[in-house]
Amino acid sequence: MNFVVSSTDLLNHLQAIAKVISSKNTLPILDNFLFELKSNVLTITASDLETTLVTSMEVENAEGEGVIAVDARRLLKLKDTSEQPLTFNINTETLSVDILSESGKFSKVEQKGDDFPQPHEVDETKKTEIALPAEALLTAINKTIFATADDDLRPVMNGILFTFSADYMTAVASDAHKMVRYRRTDITSEQESSFILPQKPAQLLKNLLPNDESEVKIVFDHQNAIIEFANFVQVCRLVEGKYPNYDAVIPKDNPYRMTVDRLDIYNKLKMVSGYANPASNLVKMSIAPNELKVSAQDLDFSMSAFERLKCEYEGEEMEIGFKGVFLLEIIANISSTDVFVELSDPSRAALFLPVEKDDDNEDLLMLIMPMMVNQ
Amino acid sequence: MEQDKRNILHLDLDTFFVSVERLRNSQLNNKPIIVGGTSDRGVVSACSYETRAFGVYSGMPMKMARRLCPEARLIRGDMDQYSKYSHLVTDIIADEAPVYEKMSIDEHYLDLTGMDRFFGTLKWSKELRQRIIKESGLPISFGLSKNKCVAKIATGEAKPNGELQIASQEILPFLAPLSIRKIPGVGNKAFQTLRTMGVDTIATLRNVPPDMVARVLGKNGEDVWKKANGIDLSPVKPYRERKSIGTERTFNNDRADTARLEEIIAAMTEKLAFELRRKEKVTSCVTIKIRYANFDTHTKQQRIPYSAMDHQLIKIGRELFRKVYDRRMRVRLVGVKFSHLVHGAHQLDLFEDTSEMVRLYQALDSLKNRYGDHIVHKALSMSGRKVVGR
Repeated sequence: MNFVVSSTDLLNHLQAIAKVISSKNTLPILDNFLFELKSNVLTITASDLETTLVTSMEVENAEGEGVIAVDARRLLKLKDTSEQPLTFNINTETLSVDILSESGKFSKVEQKGDDFPQPHEVDETKKTEIALPAEALLTAINKTIFATADDDLRPVMNGILFTFSADYMTAVASDAHKMVRYRRTDITSEQESSFILPQKPAQLLKNLLPNDESEVKIVFDHQNAIIEFANFVQVCRLVEGKYPNYDAVIPKDNPYRMTVDRLDIYNKLKMVSGYANPASNLVKMSIAPNELKVSAQDLDFSMSAFERLKCEYEGEEMEIGFKGVFLLEIIANISSTDVFVELSDPSRAALFLPVEKDDDNEDLLMLIMPMMVNQ
Repeated sequence: MEQDKRNILHLDLDTFFVSVERLRNSQLNNKPIIVGGTSDRGVVSACSYETRAFGVYSGMPMKMARRLCPEARLIRGDMDQYSKYSHLVTDIIADEAPVYEKMSIDEHYLDLTGMDRFFGTLKWSKELRQRIIKESGLPISFGLSKNKCVAKIATGEAKPNGELQIASQEILPFLAPLSIRKIPGVGNKAFQTLRTMGVDTIATLRNVPPDMVARVLGKNGEDVWKKANGIDLSPVKPYRERKSIGTERTFNNDRADTARLEEIIAAMTEKLAFELRRKEKVTSCVTIKIRYANFDTHTKQQRIPYSAMDHQLIKIGRELFRKVYDRRMRVRLVGVKFSHLVHGAHQLDLFEDTSEMVRLYQALDSLKNRYGDHIVHKALSMSGRKVVGR
């Protein structure tokens, strides 16, 4: 088979899906892109067995049909060349691939396309289909992915839980120390369903999804999901298992509420947490009406820091300790100018909520567990 | 820094434990005294000079020491008292010295480099020693030289209750006739290896090619050879963070009842975990050690997320014990150690830690802080507690 394609056009498609290729593959064939030509459409696939990404593009002067696996590392070197038409002459019998550029030729014997592993399939009898705007899925991933765990003992928490119900879509991520729940009331489904999307495919989607209203179609069963959007298809294995009952651990009646300027607290925390012990990263918040003091110290290297900032607070004076990095991540992922911090006591979870919403359909809740500080 | 310009002082309290006991009970003066585990299976942790004539040395099994010197008065020892006196001495040194390193409970290194411009270092050291003797009442010896190794050897030669300065031109002649056993870093095994090679004195060791020493003693060898030549560039480290805490226990009789052993480990863990919490520290590595009746010693360790909570640590301790105890043999000793300590607090878990539990810990800890840590403990560690002691 033969075809002609613009080098930058091809490179854009290759780079979009190349991130799925793992640097330490168990199967050598996975270091390749799978090229499949049908009439004038070239379909390119990359996979790490768990996740498969497929993209397609139109090519010119297409002749013949067939599949072949092409070395990914060498092809990606295209990024260093200038825009030019490339002619691919592929012999699927001898597996020789010649790429003719404007001023040269690159030849290599590649691998058989049939050896490339087939993407997972979704069981037709158990499948669920959901359609939603790309922007909603992208925001859900953006808001939650930082809170996913990296814990071999609790694999379910290494992903984002998506649940669909008649009232809303919910995305939840937690590593048992912090948690994010993002809800969209404009996305509903008559049928209750849920899946846990692992971190890697979520990260890939985060980079690929367009931030617009275009439709994303998700088809899934209990094992796999096929996510289709624009000219991409992502097929991925889901995390199997039961997500912990996150609703039960969200405090419903935290009596005290503090309002602080988000950027102010973020910048001050960032500075102060630099003076905390790097391993435990403990930052203390001393909360009084109208004043919040954030402080940190490292006795081992005798350093300490504190900053005061204004806040609105009604309730008992309190000293509560948090891991500084968690606080920063939480605050960085809220976009409103002010945040509410809802507290009950120094050993219970604190809630972080945006004061004003970006979108009326959105409902964002972040939660962080304190560290046990001696009273 | 060039070695010749340095001045290192090594201070060592003479028979520290014995001296403390004598300070508290003057009837013990000039009598043979052994401090250590008083049962047959204990070991000697310190012994007075009177007993040394009988061949008693520290680290020797108590049974043997008693046979060698039946007249000796045996004392169980009180670690709390010893650390109190040790602190007293450290405080005096901290008050006077520019840079000091607390090497162990009874040893300090001081870096006096540059002080000879203002005071004679020997005069200064003598005054410091007199002040310590006057204020603490404990006999102390020092060695003053150009590096840590020679200073330490000099202290050993100065003892008991003496002082010795080795100037840089005297270092080699001073070391030459001494036994290689006196070099810090040459233990029993290295000593025997070198003895079989016919190396007995430091002078002989100096003549052995350094490569050969390195070959027989491993990576430590080159250092040993350098020390034999009076070269030791290791600095005086002013501050040493305690990197681990641990405890271990040798039983009166070897035992194989795993349930009880687990209880003892739980009791040890509980005690250490409280210690961590009191110091506002958390650990990320738990080690369990067992010694079988035939002295085979095995350890197993595990990295964990930072914690100082009894219930988590006891669980990990138990799992490790079950893994490490894999022979049908009686056990002579068990130990628990927490390492990779950092200052900080326990990060609560959303799904596992409840607020009730946190308050329980806080209530228990405040009881322990007020009335001592024996006042309340887990039912599980109740019987183990008797073995571990307070």
